[in-house]
Amino acid sequence: MSIEAINEQLLRAIGVGVALVELDTMSLKFRNDTFTEWFGQASPDSGVAELFPELDMADVTAAMTSGTRFAAETSFKLRRRTMTVALELNRALDDEDGIAVLVCQNITRIKELESMIDSYSMMVERNTHEIKREKEQVEKLLLNMMPRSAYEEYKTFGVVAPRVFESVSVLTLDFTDFDQILAANDPAVIVSELNDIYTSFDRIGDQFGCERVRTSGDSYFAVSGVPDPVADHAESVANAAVRFMRYLRRRNESHPVKWHARIGLAAGPVIGSVVGVQKYIYDVFGPAVAAATETRALTGPMCVAAHGSIAGLLDGRFSLTPQPARGAAAAQPPTVLELADPALAAAKGGR
Amino acid sequence: MDQTLFEKYGGFSTVSRIVLRLYDKLLDDDDIGPFFDDVDLPKLIDHQTKFVSYLMGGPASFTDAHIERAHHHLIIEDAHFDRLKELVSETLEEFSVDDADIEAIVGEFEARRPLLKRS
Repeated sequence: MSIEAINEQLLRAIGVGVALVELDTMSLKFRNDTFTEWFGQASPDSGVAELFPELDMADVTAAMTSGTRFAAETSFKLRRRTMTVALELNRALDDEDGIAVLVCQNITRIKELESMIDSYSMMVERNTHEIKREKEQVEKLLLNMMPRSAYEEYKTFGVVAPRVFESVSVLTLDFTDFDQILAANDPAVIVSELNDIYTSFDRIGDQFGCERVRTSGDSYFAVSGVPDPVADHAESVANAAVRFMRYLRRRNESHPVKWHARIGLAAGPVIGSVVGVQKYIYDVFGPAVAAATETRALTGPMCVAAHGSIAGLLDGRFSLTPQPARGAAAAQPPTVLELADPALAAAKGGR
Repeated sequence: MDQTLFEKYGGFSTVSRIVLRLYDKLLDDDDIGPFFDDVDLPKLIDHQTKFVSYLMGGPASFTDAHIERAHHHLIIEDAHFDRLKELVSETLEEFSVDDADIEAIVGEFEARRPLLKRS
Protein backbone atom coordinates (compact mmCIF):
# COMPACT_ATOMS: atom_id res chain seq x y z
CA MET A 1 0.00 0.00 0.00
CA SER A 2 1.43 3.35 -0.96
CA ILE A 3 1.89 6.15 1.49
CA GLU A 4 -0.85 8.10 -0.27
CA ALA A 5 -3.23 5.19 0.09
CA ILE A 6 -2.45 4.87 3.80
CA ASN A 7 -2.95 8.57 4.25
CA GLU A 8 -6.30 8.46 2.53
CA GLN A 9 -7.35 5.45 4.59
CA LEU A 10 -6.44 7.31 7.76
CA LEU A 11 -8.20 10.42 6.63
CA ARG A 12 -11.35 8.45 5.91
CA ALA A 13 -11.38 6.57 9.19
CA ILE A 14 -10.62 9.48 11.51
CA GLY A 15 -13.41 10.67 13.83
CA VAL A 16 -13.11 14.19 12.54
CA GLY A 17 -15.03 15.36 9.50
CA VAL A 18 -12.60 16.35 6.77
CA ALA A 19 -13.34 17.76 3.34
CA LEU A 20 -11.43 19.63 0.70
CA VAL A 21 -12.93 22.84 -0.57
CA GLU A 22 -12.22 24.41 -3.89
CA LEU A 23 -12.09 28.07 -3.05
CA ASP A 24 -13.13 29.43 -6.46
CA THR A 25 -16.49 27.69 -6.35
CA MET A 26 -16.67 26.85 -2.65
CA SER A 27 -17.56 23.32 -3.65
CA LEU A 28 -16.40 20.17 -1.92
CA LYS A 29 -13.91 18.00 -3.73
CA PHE A 30 -13.37 15.31 -1.16
CA ARG A 31 -15.11 14.28 2.01
CA ASN A 32 -14.11 11.57 4.44
CA ASP A 33 -16.46 8.99 5.96
CA THR A 34 -17.17 10.96 9.08
CA PHE A 35 -17.99 14.05 7.06
CA THR A 36 -20.34 12.03 4.87
CA GLU A 37 -21.97 10.47 7.90
CA TRP A 38 -22.73 13.89 9.31
CA PHE A 39 -23.60 15.86 6.26
CA GLY A 40 -24.60 13.15 3.80
CA GLN A 41 -23.30 12.44 0.36
CA ALA A 42 -25.50 15.05 -1.23
CA SER A 43 -24.63 15.93 -4.77
CA PRO A 44 -20.91 15.89 -5.40
CA ASP A 45 -21.05 19.53 -6.33
CA SER A 46 -22.92 20.81 -3.33
CA GLY A 47 -20.85 23.50 -1.73
CA VAL A 48 -20.08 25.00 1.63
CA ALA A 49 -22.99 27.42 1.36
CA GLU A 50 -25.54 24.62 0.94
CA LEU A 51 -24.11 22.50 3.74
CA PHE A 52 -23.78 25.32 6.22
CA PRO A 53 -26.58 27.75 5.51
CA GLU A 54 -25.84 29.57 8.76
CA LEU A 55 -22.43 30.69 7.55
CA ASP A 56 -22.00 34.08 5.96
CA MET A 57 -20.20 33.18 2.75
CA ALA A 58 -18.87 36.71 2.34
CA ASP A 59 -17.00 36.26 5.64
CA VAL A 60 -15.61 32.93 4.49
CA THR A 61 -14.43 34.34 1.19
CA ALA A 62 -12.94 37.38 2.85
CA ALA A 63 -11.07 35.25 5.35
CA MET A 64 -9.73 32.98 2.63
CA THR A 65 -8.66 35.90 0.47
CA SER A 66 -6.92 37.96 3.11
CA GLY A 67 -5.72 35.16 5.34
CA THR A 68 -5.51 31.43 5.50
CA ARG A 69 -7.90 30.44 8.23
CA PHE A 70 -11.61 30.64 9.00
CA ALA A 71 -13.30 29.17 12.07
CA ALA A 72 -16.92 28.94 13.16
CA GLU A 73 -19.38 26.82 15.07
CA THR A 74 -22.52 25.44 13.58
CA SER A 75 -25.38 23.19 14.61
CA PHE A 76 -27.48 20.82 12.59
CA LYS A 77 -29.87 17.97 13.17
CA LEU A 78 -28.71 14.41 12.70
CA ARG A 79 -31.68 12.13 13.18
CA ARG A 80 -33.21 13.77 16.24
CA ARG A 81 -29.97 14.82 17.81
CA THR A 82 -28.72 18.36 17.53
CA MET A 83 -25.09 18.17 16.54
CA THR A 84 -22.72 21.01 17.09
CA VAL A 85 -19.45 21.12 15.22
CA ALA A 86 -16.52 23.48 15.34
CA LEU A 87 -15.45 23.91 11.76
CA GLU A 88 -12.18 25.23 10.55
CA LEU A 89 -11.17 26.07 7.02
CA ASN A 90 -7.44 26.16 6.38
CA ARG A 91 -6.04 27.26 3.10
CA ALA A 92 -3.54 24.75 1.76
CA LEU A 93 -0.38 26.77 1.75
CA ASP A 94 1.55 25.51 -1.20
CA ASP A 95 -1.42 25.11 -3.40
CA GLU A 96 -1.95 27.30 -6.34
CA ASP A 97 -5.33 25.93 -7.24
CA GLY A 98 -6.90 27.54 -4.20
CA ILE A 99 -7.84 24.52 -2.10
CA ALA A 100 -8.72 24.66 1.57
CA VAL A 101 -9.03 21.87 4.09
CA LEU A 102 -12.31 21.90 5.97
CA VAL A 103 -12.06 20.20 9.37
CA CYS A 104 -15.15 19.63 11.52
CA GLN A 105 -14.75 18.62 15.14
CA ASN A 106 -17.75 17.20 16.90
CA ILE A 107 -18.28 19.33 20.00
CA THR A 108 -21.83 18.16 20.65
CA ARG A 109 -20.88 16.44 23.88
CA ILE A 110 -19.07 19.50 25.11
CA LYS A 111 -22.11 21.64 24.37
CA GLU A 112 -24.36 19.15 26.12
CA LEU A 113 -22.10 19.09 29.13
CA GLU A 114 -22.05 22.88 29.17
CA SER A 115 -25.84 22.95 29.22
CA MET A 116 -25.84 20.39 31.96
CA ILE A 117 -23.34 22.28 34.08
CA ASP A 118 -25.36 25.47 33.57
CA SER A 119 -28.49 23.72 34.66
CA TYR A 120 -26.80 22.18 37.63
CA SER A 121 -25.05 25.33 38.77
CA MET A 122 -28.33 27.19 38.59
CA MET A 123 -29.84 24.56 40.83
CA VAL A 124 -26.95 24.78 43.25
CA GLU A 125 -27.06 28.55 43.26
CA ARG A 126 -30.73 28.54 44.04
CA ASN A 127 -30.19 26.08 46.86
CA THR A 128 -27.29 28.09 48.22
CA HIS A 129 -29.51 31.13 48.17
CA GLU A 130 -32.20 29.29 50.10
CA ILE A 131 -29.73 28.03 52.65
CA LYS A 132 -28.40 31.54 53.09
CA ARG A 133 -31.89 32.86 53.67
CA GLU A 134 -32.59 30.17 56.23
CA LYS A 135 -29.31 30.92 57.94
CA GLU A 136 -30.23 34.56 58.17
CA GLN A 137 -33.53 33.61 59.72
CA VAL A 138 -31.82 31.44 62.30
CA GLU A 139 -29.38 34.26 63.00
CA LYS A 140 -32.23 36.68 63.46
CA LEU A 141 -33.89 34.33 65.92
CA LEU A 142 -30.68 33.83 67.86
CA LEU A 143 -30.07 37.58 67.94
CA ASN A 144 -33.44 37.89 69.62
CA MET A 145 -32.18 35.62 72.35
CA MET A 146 -28.72 37.06 72.90
CA PRO A 147 -26.68 40.16 72.16
CA ARG A 148 -24.70 40.16 68.93
CA SER A 149 -21.34 39.91 70.68
CA ALA A 150 -22.52 36.84 72.57
CA TYR A 151 -23.89 35.40 69.34
CA GLU A 152 -20.57 35.94 67.56
CA GLU A 153 -18.77 34.24 70.40
CA TYR A 154 -21.24 31.38 70.31
CA LYS A 155 -20.81 30.98 66.56
CA THR A 156 -17.01 30.91 66.79
CA PHE A 157 -16.47 28.85 69.91
CA GLY A 158 -19.76 27.03 70.40
CA VAL A 159 -20.05 28.43 73.92
CA VAL A 160 -20.37 31.82 75.52
CA ALA A 161 -18.12 32.42 78.48
CA PRO A 162 -19.85 34.20 81.36
CA ARG A 163 -18.73 37.77 81.49
CA VAL A 164 -18.74 40.18 84.37
CA PHE A 165 -20.02 43.66 83.63
CA GLU A 166 -18.76 45.84 86.44
CA SER A 167 -20.99 48.81 86.09
CA VAL A 168 -24.44 48.48 84.66
CA SER A 169 -27.97 49.48 85.58
CA VAL A 170 -30.92 47.18 85.89
CA LEU A 171 -34.61 47.89 85.48
CA THR A 172 -37.21 45.41 86.64
CA LEU A 173 -40.91 45.90 86.30
CA ASP A 174 -44.01 43.98 87.30
CA PHE A 175 -47.72 44.66 87.51
CA THR A 176 -49.30 45.05 90.90
CA ASP A 177 -52.70 43.60 90.18
CA PHE A 178 -51.71 40.95 87.70
CA ASP A 179 -53.70 38.20 89.45
CA GLN A 180 -56.93 40.18 89.24
CA ILE A 181 -56.29 41.06 85.59
CA LEU A 182 -55.67 37.40 84.88
CA ALA A 183 -58.88 36.39 86.58
CA ALA A 184 -60.98 39.04 84.89
CA ASN A 185 -59.78 38.65 81.30
CA ASP A 186 -59.51 36.10 78.60
CA PRO A 187 -55.94 34.69 78.35
CA ALA A 188 -55.79 35.73 74.69
CA VAL A 189 -56.54 39.32 75.71
CA ILE A 190 -53.79 39.24 78.33
CA VAL A 191 -51.26 37.91 75.87
CA SER A 192 -52.13 40.50 73.28
CA GLU A 193 -52.08 43.31 75.87
CA LEU A 194 -48.71 42.22 77.24
CA ASN A 195 -47.36 41.84 73.74
CA ASP A 196 -48.44 45.37 73.00
CA ILE A 197 -47.00 46.79 76.23
CA TYR A 198 -43.71 44.89 76.11
CA THR A 199 -43.21 45.85 72.50
CA SER A 200 -43.62 49.49 73.44
CA PHE A 201 -41.24 49.04 76.37
CA ASP A 202 -38.70 47.51 74.00
CA ARG A 203 -39.01 50.47 71.70
CA ILE A 204 -38.69 53.00 74.51
CA GLY A 205 -35.76 51.10 76.04
CA ASP A 206 -34.04 50.98 72.70
CA GLN A 207 -34.34 54.73 72.44
CA PHE A 208 -32.57 55.21 75.78
CA GLY A 209 -29.91 52.55 75.45
CA CYS A 210 -31.33 49.78 77.54
CA GLU A 211 -32.05 46.34 76.29
CA ARG A 212 -34.63 43.86 77.46
CA VAL A 213 -33.11 40.69 78.86
CA ARG A 214 -36.33 38.76 79.30
CA THR A 215 -39.94 38.87 80.23
CA SER A 216 -41.61 36.30 82.37
CA GLY A 217 -45.33 36.60 82.76
CA ASP A 218 -45.95 39.99 84.26
CA SER A 219 -42.32 40.86 84.83
CA TYR A 220 -40.13 42.75 82.45
CA PHE A 221 -36.41 42.97 82.94
CA ALA A 222 -33.99 45.22 81.07
CA VAL A 223 -30.40 46.37 81.48
CA SER A 224 -28.22 49.16 80.28
CA GLY A 225 -24.50 48.51 79.81
CA VAL A 226 -24.67 44.88 78.70
CA PRO A 227 -22.88 43.74 76.64
CA ASP A 228 -21.54 47.06 75.38
CA PRO A 229 -20.68 49.61 78.05
CA VAL A 230 -23.00 52.61 78.33
CA ALA A 231 -21.49 55.66 80.02
CA ASP A 232 -24.70 56.96 81.54
CA HIS A 233 -26.41 53.61 82.15
CA ALA A 234 -28.17 54.90 85.27
CA GLU A 235 -29.73 57.73 83.32
CA SER A 236 -30.72 55.25 80.63
CA VAL A 237 -32.80 53.10 82.92
CA ALA A 238 -34.20 56.09 84.82
CA ASN A 239 -35.29 57.71 81.56
CA ALA A 240 -36.79 54.47 80.33
CA ALA A 241 -38.57 53.88 83.66
CA VAL A 242 -40.14 57.32 83.59
CA ARG A 243 -41.29 56.81 79.98
CA PHE A 244 -42.68 53.34 80.74
CA MET A 245 -44.89 54.93 83.38
CA ARG A 246 -45.94 57.77 81.09
CA TYR A 247 -46.80 55.25 78.43
CA LEU A 248 -48.89 53.18 80.84
CA ARG A 249 -50.72 56.21 82.22
CA ARG A 250 -51.63 57.30 78.70
CA ARG A 251 -52.59 53.81 77.72
CA ASN A 252 -54.79 53.28 80.77
CA GLU A 253 -56.78 56.38 79.87
CA SER A 254 -58.10 54.76 76.72
CA HIS A 255 -57.91 51.01 77.30
CA PRO A 256 -60.38 48.85 79.22
CA VAL A 257 -57.66 46.87 80.99
CA LYS A 258 -55.70 49.09 83.37
CA TRP A 259 -52.13 48.14 84.01
CA HIS A 260 -50.32 49.38 87.13
CA ALA A 261 -46.63 48.75 87.16
CA ARG A 262 -43.95 48.97 89.78
CA ILE A 263 -40.39 49.51 88.74
CA GLY A 264 -37.21 48.85 90.66
CA LEU A 265 -33.90 50.34 89.56
CA ALA A 266 -30.44 49.46 90.77
CA ALA A 267 -26.84 49.71 89.61
CA GLY A 268 -23.81 47.51 90.15
CA PRO A 269 -22.06 44.49 88.68
CA VAL A 270 -23.83 41.69 86.86
CA ILE A 271 -22.83 38.53 85.05
CA GLY A 272 -24.04 37.96 81.52
CA SER A 273 -24.02 34.53 79.94
CA VAL A 274 -25.84 32.08 77.78
CA VAL A 275 -27.62 29.58 79.96
CA GLY A 276 -28.62 26.14 78.79
CA VAL A 277 -27.33 23.75 76.19
CA GLN A 278 -30.37 22.62 74.24
CA LYS A 279 -32.57 25.56 75.09
CA TYR A 280 -30.27 28.45 75.49
CA ILE A 281 -31.09 31.89 76.60
CA TYR A 282 -28.91 34.83 77.33
CA ASP A 283 -29.37 35.79 80.96
CA VAL A 284 -28.03 38.40 83.28
CA PHE A 285 -27.72 37.94 87.02
CA GLY A 286 -25.84 39.39 89.94
CA PRO A 287 -26.10 41.86 92.80
CA ALA A 288 -27.59 44.64 90.69
CA VAL A 289 -30.39 42.36 89.49
CA ALA A 290 -31.17 41.20 93.01
CA ALA A 291 -31.15 44.78 94.29
CA ALA A 292 -33.50 45.97 91.57
CA THR A 293 -35.95 43.14 92.23
CA GLU A 294 -35.82 43.75 95.95
CA THR A 295 -36.39 47.46 95.46
CA ARG A 296 -39.32 46.86 93.17
CA ALA A 297 -41.01 44.75 95.81
CA LEU A 298 -40.84 47.65 98.25
CA THR A 299 -42.66 50.18 96.16
CA GLY A 300 -46.26 50.79 95.23
CA PRO A 301 -48.30 50.84 92.02
CA MET A 302 -47.16 53.28 89.34
CA CYS A 303 -44.04 54.14 91.31
CA VAL A 304 -40.43 53.95 90.26
CA ALA A 305 -38.15 53.02 93.14
CA ALA A 306 -34.43 53.55 92.94
CA HIS A 307 -32.04 51.48 95.01
CA GLY A 308 -29.29 53.31 96.85
CA SER A 309 -26.77 51.92 94.42
CA ILE A 310 -28.16 53.92 91.53
CA ALA A 311 -29.22 57.08 93.36
CA GLY A 312 -25.76 58.62 93.35
CA LEU A 313 -25.38 58.07 89.61
CA LEU A 314 -28.41 60.09 88.60
CA ASP A 315 -28.18 63.79 87.92
CA GLY A 316 -30.44 66.49 89.33
CA ARG A 317 -33.16 66.08 86.74
CA PHE A 318 -34.59 63.19 88.67
CA SER A 319 -35.87 64.10 92.10
CA LEU A 320 -35.42 61.31 94.58
CA THR A 321 -37.31 61.21 97.82
CA PRO A 322 -36.68 58.65 100.52
CA GLN A 323 -39.60 56.30 100.73
CA PRO A 324 -40.94 54.56 103.79
CA ALA A 325 -40.22 50.91 103.21
CA ARG A 326 -43.41 48.96 102.60
CA GLY A 327 -43.69 45.64 104.33
CA ALA A 328 -39.96 45.28 104.67
CA ALA A 329 -39.32 42.47 107.03
CA ALA A 330 -35.62 42.39 106.43
CA ALA A 331 -33.43 43.44 109.27
CA GLN A 332 -31.67 45.96 107.07
CA PRO A 333 -34.09 47.25 104.49
CA PRO A 334 -32.36 48.74 101.48
CA THR A 335 -32.45 52.44 100.89
CA VAL A 336 -35.37 53.04 98.58
CA LEU A 337 -35.91 56.37 96.94
CA GLU A 338 -38.93 57.25 94.95
CA LEU A 339 -38.01 58.64 91.59
CA ALA A 340 -40.38 61.23 90.21
CA ASP A 341 -41.00 61.91 86.57
CA PRO A 342 -39.19 65.21 85.93
CA ALA A 343 -42.04 66.32 83.62
CA LEU A 344 -44.67 65.68 86.28
CA ALA A 345 -42.55 67.29 88.98
CA ALA A 346 -42.12 70.39 86.83
CA ALA A 347 -45.88 70.54 86.18
CA LYS A 348 -46.57 70.36 89.92
CA GLY A 349 -43.97 72.99 90.71
CA GLY A 350 -45.40 75.38 88.12
CA ARG A 351 -48.87 75.23 89.60
CA MET B 1 -29.62 12.24 57.99
CA ASP B 2 -29.59 9.26 55.59
CA GLN B 3 -27.35 9.47 52.60
CA THR B 4 -29.30 10.15 49.44
CA LEU B 5 -28.83 8.04 46.33
CA PHE B 6 -27.43 11.18 44.77
CA GLU B 7 -24.62 11.22 47.33
CA LYS B 8 -24.23 7.44 47.36
CA TYR B 9 -23.45 7.25 43.66
CA GLY B 10 -21.01 10.11 43.54
CA GLY B 11 -23.13 13.22 43.14
CA PHE B 12 -23.14 15.33 40.05
CA SER B 13 -20.22 13.64 38.31
CA THR B 14 -22.11 10.35 38.14
CA VAL B 15 -25.54 11.81 37.67
CA SER B 16 -24.35 13.85 34.70
CA ARG B 17 -23.12 10.67 33.02
CA ILE B 18 -26.33 8.85 33.80
CA VAL B 19 -28.34 11.72 32.39
CA LEU B 20 -26.34 11.94 29.16
CA ARG B 21 -26.54 8.19 28.70
CA LEU B 22 -30.25 8.11 29.36
CA TYR B 23 -30.76 10.96 26.98
CA ASP B 24 -28.78 9.13 24.28
CA LYS B 25 -30.99 6.10 24.74
CA LEU B 26 -34.16 8.14 24.65
CA LEU B 27 -33.18 9.84 21.42
CA ASP B 28 -32.10 6.63 19.75
CA ASP B 29 -35.21 4.72 20.73
CA ASP B 30 -37.67 4.22 17.93
CA ASP B 31 -40.73 4.28 20.16
CA ILE B 32 -40.08 7.26 22.35
CA GLY B 33 -37.39 9.00 20.35
CA PRO B 34 -39.98 10.82 18.23
CA PHE B 35 -41.19 12.67 21.33
CA PHE B 36 -37.89 14.47 21.25
CA ASP B 37 -37.91 15.33 17.57
CA ASP B 38 -38.55 19.01 18.01
CA VAL B 39 -37.31 19.45 21.50
CA ASP B 40 -35.07 22.31 22.49
CA LEU B 41 -31.81 20.63 23.40
CA PRO B 42 -30.59 22.74 26.32
CA LYS B 43 -34.08 22.56 27.76
CA LEU B 44 -34.14 18.79 27.53
CA ILE B 45 -30.77 18.50 29.22
CA ASP B 46 -31.80 20.95 31.89
CA HIS B 47 -34.93 18.91 32.46
CA GLN B 48 -33.11 15.59 32.60
CA THR B 49 -30.38 16.86 34.91
CA LYS B 50 -32.86 18.24 37.37
CA PHE B 51 -35.19 15.31 37.14
CA VAL B 52 -32.64 12.57 37.67
CA SER B 53 -30.93 14.58 40.44
CA TYR B 54 -34.30 15.13 42.05
CA LEU B 55 -35.31 11.48 41.90
CA MET B 56 -32.02 10.54 43.53
CA GLY B 57 -32.47 13.08 46.30
CA GLY B 58 -30.05 15.63 44.87
CA PRO B 59 -30.24 19.41 44.93
CA ALA B 60 -33.21 19.98 42.67
CA SER B 61 -36.85 20.48 43.21
CA PHE B 62 -39.52 19.45 40.84
CA THR B 63 -43.18 19.88 41.40
CA ASP B 64 -45.86 17.63 40.00
CA ALA B 65 -47.39 20.69 38.36
CA HIS B 66 -44.10 21.35 36.59
CA ILE B 67 -43.94 17.78 35.28
CA GLU B 68 -47.53 17.86 34.19
CA ARG B 69 -47.05 21.12 32.33
CA ALA B 70 -43.89 19.89 30.59
CA HIS B 71 -45.72 16.88 29.16
CA HIS B 72 -49.08 18.42 28.57
CA HIS B 73 -48.72 18.72 24.83
CA LEU B 74 -47.63 15.10 24.37
CA ILE B 75 -49.80 12.09 23.90
CA ILE B 76 -48.02 9.51 26.01
CA GLU B 77 -49.36 6.00 26.24
CA ASP B 78 -48.66 3.29 28.77
CA ALA B 79 -46.39 1.50 26.31
CA HIS B 80 -44.26 4.63 26.01
CA PHE B 81 -43.99 4.98 29.71
CA ASP B 82 -43.10 1.28 30.12
CA ARG B 83 -40.35 1.70 27.55
CA LEU B 84 -39.03 4.73 29.40
CA LYS B 85 -38.83 2.72 32.59
CA GLU B 86 -36.93 -0.02 30.76
CA LEU B 87 -34.44 2.50 29.43
CA VAL B 88 -34.00 4.04 32.87
CA SER B 89 -33.32 0.62 34.41
CA GLU B 90 -30.92 -0.24 31.63
CA THR B 91 -29.02 2.99 32.06
CA LEU B 92 -28.79 2.65 35.82
CA GLU B 93 -27.55 -0.93 35.44
CA GLU B 94 -24.77 0.30 33.20
CA PHE B 95 -23.67 2.54 36.02
CA SER B 96 -23.67 -0.35 38.50
CA VAL B 97 -26.48 1.05 40.58
CA ASP B 98 -27.70 -1.57 43.08
CA ASP B 99 -30.85 -3.44 42.11
CA ALA B 100 -32.73 -2.17 45.13
CA ASP B 101 -31.82 1.41 44.27
CA ILE B 102 -32.82 0.94 40.63
CA GLU B 103 -36.14 -0.32 41.86
CA ALA B 104 -36.50 2.73 44.05
CA ILE B 105 -35.66 5.16 41.25
CA VAL B 106 -37.87 3.42 38.71
CA GLY B 107 -40.57 3.42 41.39
CA GLU B 108 -40.25 7.20 41.54
CA PHE B 109 -40.81 7.33 37.80
CA GLU B 110 -43.79 5.02 38.10
CA ALA B 111 -45.32 7.22 40.76
CA ARG B 112 -45.46 10.01 38.21
CA ARG B 113 -47.06 8.01 35.43
CA PRO B 114 -50.48 9.64 35.94
CA LEU B 115 -48.94 13.09 35.47
CA LEU B 116 -47.69 12.25 32.00
CA LYS B 117 -50.63 10.36 30.66
CA ARG B 118 -53.36 12.47 29.24
CA SER B 119 -56.72 11.00 29.96
